[in-house]
Amino acid sequence: MSFLTGHSGAGKSTLLKLIMLMERSTQGNIIVGEQDLSRIPKRQIPYFRRHVGVVFQNHRLLYDRSVFDNVALPLEISGMHPRDIGRRVRASLDKVGLLRKEKLTPIQLSGGEQQRVGIARAVVNKPPILLADEPTGNLDPELSAEIMKLFAAFNQVGVTVLIASHDLALIHHMDYRVIELQAGQLLGKSSATMDQKYFEGGDHG
Amino acid sequence: MAEPSKHTGARTAIQASPLTNFVNHHFKVAKTTLRAQLNAPFATFFTCAVIGVALVLPILLSLLLSNLQAVNQHWDGSAQITLVLKQDVTALQGGVLSDTLSKKEHIKSSEFVDKGRALIEFKARFKFADALDFLDENPLPNVILVRPDKSFKTVEEVSTLKEILMRESGVESALLDVVWVQRLQSITQVLQKGLWIIVGMLGLIVTLVLGNTIRLAIENRKDEIVVMKLVGATHAFVRRPFLYMGMLFGFGGGVIAWFLVQGVIVILNQPIRELAHSYQSDFSLPVMDFGSTLILLIISVGLGWFSSWLAVHKHFDEIEPT
Repeated sequence: MSFLTGHSGAGKSTLLKLIMLMERSTQGNIIVGEQDLSRIPKRQIPYFRRHVGVVFQNHRLLYDRSVFDNVALPLEISGMHPRDIGRRVRASLDKVGLLRKEKLTPIQLSGGEQQRVGIARAVVNKPPILLADEPTGNLDPELSAEIMKLFAAFNQVGVTVLIASHDLALIHHMDYRVIELQAGQLLGKSSATMDQKYFEGGDHG
Repeated sequence: MAEPSKHTGARTAIQASPLTNFVNHHFKVAKTTLRAQLNAPFATFFTCAVIGVALVLPILLSLLLSNLQAVNQHWDGSAQITLVLKQDVTALQGGVLSDTLSKKEHIKSSEFVDKGRALIEFKARFKFADALDFLDENPLPNVILVRPDKSFKTVEEVSTLKEILMRESGVESALLDVVWVQRLQSITQVLQKGLWIIVGMLGLIVTLVLGNTIRLAIENRKDEIVVMKLVGATHAFVRRPFLYMGMLFGFGGGVIAWFLVQGVIVILNQPIRELAHSYQSDFSLPVMDFGSTLILLIISVGLGWFSSWLAVHKHFDEIEPT
């Protein structure tokens, strides 16, 4: 599990988009799971994306469907049998603590709950990689910490997690690798403790 | 069916036949699409109605054409040339001429009709024939009825025969009772060409109307499409509901067209029968049978599918997650 930080415009989102093939690189190679992304033809992109779970800042849920249907979407897309879908969706909702709200629509949930639906959807496929773009952007610190703990839990069971965030205070509390970007360049890898320097510089915001 | 065992049940279920899942999925998409359309019954009905109305004209025309062609193919047995003999030709001479003609090439039979016999038949057939009693003498001429054999198929060939027979001595004039067939043939040809133009134009209308409806639907569900693409949906998966939508509209349009066509046929058949009767034909438009109904539905559903495929093809590439 790593964090991706940097000013807005530094290229955090772009890097995530490159990894999930929303954008294609114009030069260089991106290798994910020993697979060179520039070699994946356009038609294969959907199949690649099924191995990458993504959580968005604005959730990107479908508001005309129930929580259950939202989480079931990736499974339906990969052509799973409805009976197995039910089991997997409930397991996933259970992990994010929303098992009892499967029949509600996302509109009826709070921001934090909606984000957890987004996470449940991202992991329901059991992807080896989980990306999150500002997953706590709209949440208060308490909820944010909860969400981060959730990510850490997935990391514990072997999922590679990459989170783009500018919530430095929160990142600071967690002992994970931090990758900093500036104007598209990798500034340097630092552990959370080394990141102190960044705060002292005080030139962000 | 034997389950392997309770414990491995879950695993085998996940590996359930991809085909079964695929069919299930199609079924589900079709059902969802149908339900979504029925939730907006008026909008759905109007779209279907536009398609239905657009289909009526080509259907009617093609029904008419196929039935006219049937008439064209059956006339030849009844082709008959009537040779009207000059007044000074006696019954005996007429009989001899008839015999000579019947031995000629391409003539199947030839029958001499004496004017006295003709008068009796005429009186037997028409009520107002009593009026003939007021005339001093029989106004009817002696005639010879000539039937060409089967080697003459077209109106042109029979007409040539008529020209030749007219030159026989003693023949005043010759009547060929197939002028209406000739006219029918040229009308049929015009209609046939017209049919293709009308089919092309109305097909275009259906494609445009449906294409626009589907385009709006795609526009409305843009977010959904983006999300689906983000979580790994293939093009085929995303466009499936729209293709079903198109087919559904096509089907609805076909059903409406069917009812309209049946109605029009019932209304038109009375005057058509009267018209046909004046040409000694019992021609009328049959109502649509099972076969033509099936063809209608296949075409309308196919047209719906094609229209939405076009719309999807054109608008989908513009929707990419960003």
